[in-house]
Amino acid sequence: MIRAELEGKVLSLISQLSTLKAHELRREQRLREDLGMDSVSSMELLSMVAEELDLDISVEDAAGITTVGGTLELVAQHYERSA
Amino acid sequence: MLASASAAAKAPEPDSVVAALCESVDRFCARHVRAQEIDAAGRIPLVVIEGLAALGVFGATLPAEHGGGDLGLVGAAELIETLARHDRSVATTVGLHLGLGTRALVEHGSAEQHARYLPSLASGETIAAFATTEPAAGSDLSAIGTTLTEEGDLLRLRGQKAFVTNGGLACLFTVAARTKTSAGAAATTLVLVERGDKGVVQLGEERKLGLRGSSTTGFVFEDVALPRERVLGALGSGQAQLDRVLAWGRLLMSAGCVGTAQAALDRALRYTAERRQFGKRLDEQPVVRMLTDGMRARVAAMRAMVRAAAATDGETLARLSASAKVFCSESAWRVGDTALQLHGGSGYIEDTGLALLLRDARVTRIFEGANEVLLTQLGLLELSQRTTFAERTAGAVHELARRVEAHRQRLHEEQGVRVVRDKLALYRLGQAVILRDAALAAERTADPDLARAFANDALRDAVLHLGEWP
Ligand SMILES: Cc1cc2nc3c(=O)[nH]c(=O)nc-3n(C[C@H](O)[C@H](O)[C@H](O)COP(=O)(O)OP(=O)(O)OC[C@H]3O[C@@H](n4cnc5c(N)ncnc54)[C@H](O)[C@@H]3O)c2cc1C
Repeated sequence: MIRAELEGKVLSLISQLSTLKAHELRREQRLREDLGMDSVSSMELLSMVAEELDLDISVEDAAGITTVGGTLELVAQHYERSA
Repeated sequence: MLASASAAAKAPEPDSVVAALCESVDRFCARHVRAQEIDAAGRIPLVVIEGLAALGVFGATLPAEHGGGDLGLVGAAELIETLARHDRSVATTVGLHLGLGTRALVEHGSAEQHARYLPSLASGETIAAFATTEPAAGSDLSAIGTTLTEEGDLLRLRGQKAFVTNGGLACLFTVAARTKTSAGAAATTLVLVERGDKGVVQLGEERKLGLRGSSTTGFVFEDVALPRERVLGALGSGQAQLDRVLAWGRLLMSAGCVGTAQAALDRALRYTAERRQFGKRLDEQPVVRMLTDGMRARVAAMRAMVRAAAATDGETLARLSASAKVFCSESAWRVGDTALQLHGGSGYIEDTGLALLLRDARVTRIFEGANEVLLTQLGLLELSQRTTFAERTAGAVHELARRVEAHRQRLHEEQGVRVVRDKLALYRLGQAVILRDAALAAERTADPDLARAFANDALRDAVLHLGEWP
């Protein structure tokens, strides 16, 4: 999968847990303050991503993610490692 | 007397200040608070509210510059425990005012908001309430449908709230409403609403299983126009504020559970020392002794846990207050039930007071976050941190902490972040976590014999929750 396609998938999952549409999401947006997610839903996001893309992401790594950009980076790193 | 505590604003309040306040509250309650009468009448007599107000109880945690006593959580918890030993409706009315009702205002309010509201809240002339729950949004606060929208210079509040404690008494409400973040996503905002605001409609008193002296009502907000100055902090910043306010609310509620459990234990000890069957006192029966010893150990662990949590701040307070809330509410129920059992048939009769104590305690397992929901969150939190306790402990506490850590490690290895959606695994881990937290707290501050006895019980229960056998 090319990077843009990967990011598209992740953004679509984020938009499922936020009230914003995928095209309204920006890298610098914070999951909590800007997207209105709480700590549980931001972890659930990473869990959904791991399941959807079959990635081995640890809970600690997921807990450290605070922004849309951070989510995209973490997923890209794991995806490259697993490819 | 309370004003003298102001010098210790940020440092822990001197024990003597808290002890003196609790002593006078205890004396006042012994003379004026009649739990059975409050239950039967469905309200707290005005003389009790006014008497507690005169003692400075309603301002205990509010800033000294506005007439409060500046007590922190440790002192406030002791105060609520004292009140709950006499009557849980009184403790709930005060605890809600000091915790959920005023905390967001104290911590996030502007100087103007403080000057407008705090003096009458501190004197007890105004009682505070807190409204997040709605008919369709209870455990799931992301479903809040009450909206706060911008209309020129004003804000417009529309929606309905359910189960508002102090609803029939309060004149100031901290209301959670749905707004948008600067990015345009749905967010939560806390806003102050006055009883007199046009369009604020109070619904009737709920009829409840217990806590009948504590007022619980719904509210409808019919296009209420509010000045922008009513918002606490910035529009959309309510989620983080809620986390902190809930930590205070949960801990004060836990302290109330300690009071309930202590009252149940005291009665059980008194009764089993007097009642004779089979030619001896009940407390001479080994089984009865085992039950009262277990109650003693549990009450000591509850108190230790509340104190340990109250002395923390930030994320640790958020976590430990949730842990204490679940442990203390479940334990108050368990200790109250054992006390009733040891009273035999008379325990079941209302005149003995044990039935009231249990009826009052029941709701604490539901409100301020249903225990099942909090246990699942506590399991998740445990997984997202690396903290290890086992190496710093010994005996049964060590074994309990070690098992929690080993279980956590296994879940990590087997599922990674996918475990976040395995709610059953999180719930079971949460059950073991609260027992570990309580045993750790007891080991640090409770009587060593009681702490050891509790740790052995807790280890046994935790092993069952984790689905392992020793
Ligand atoms: C006497 C009283 C006073 C109250 N005071 C206030 C107040 O002052 N302010 C305020 O805002 N609210 C108040 N509440 C509301 C209280 O906080 C809610 O009742 C509570 O949060 C549960 O919400 P709910 O009743 O909608 O139950 P629901 O959310 O419908 O849940 C019902 C049950 O389902 C289970 N459950 C739900 N979700 C999950 C899940 N994800 N995982 C596992 N189990 C789950 C739990 O066992 C829960 O008890 C009060 C309630 C009462 C009864």
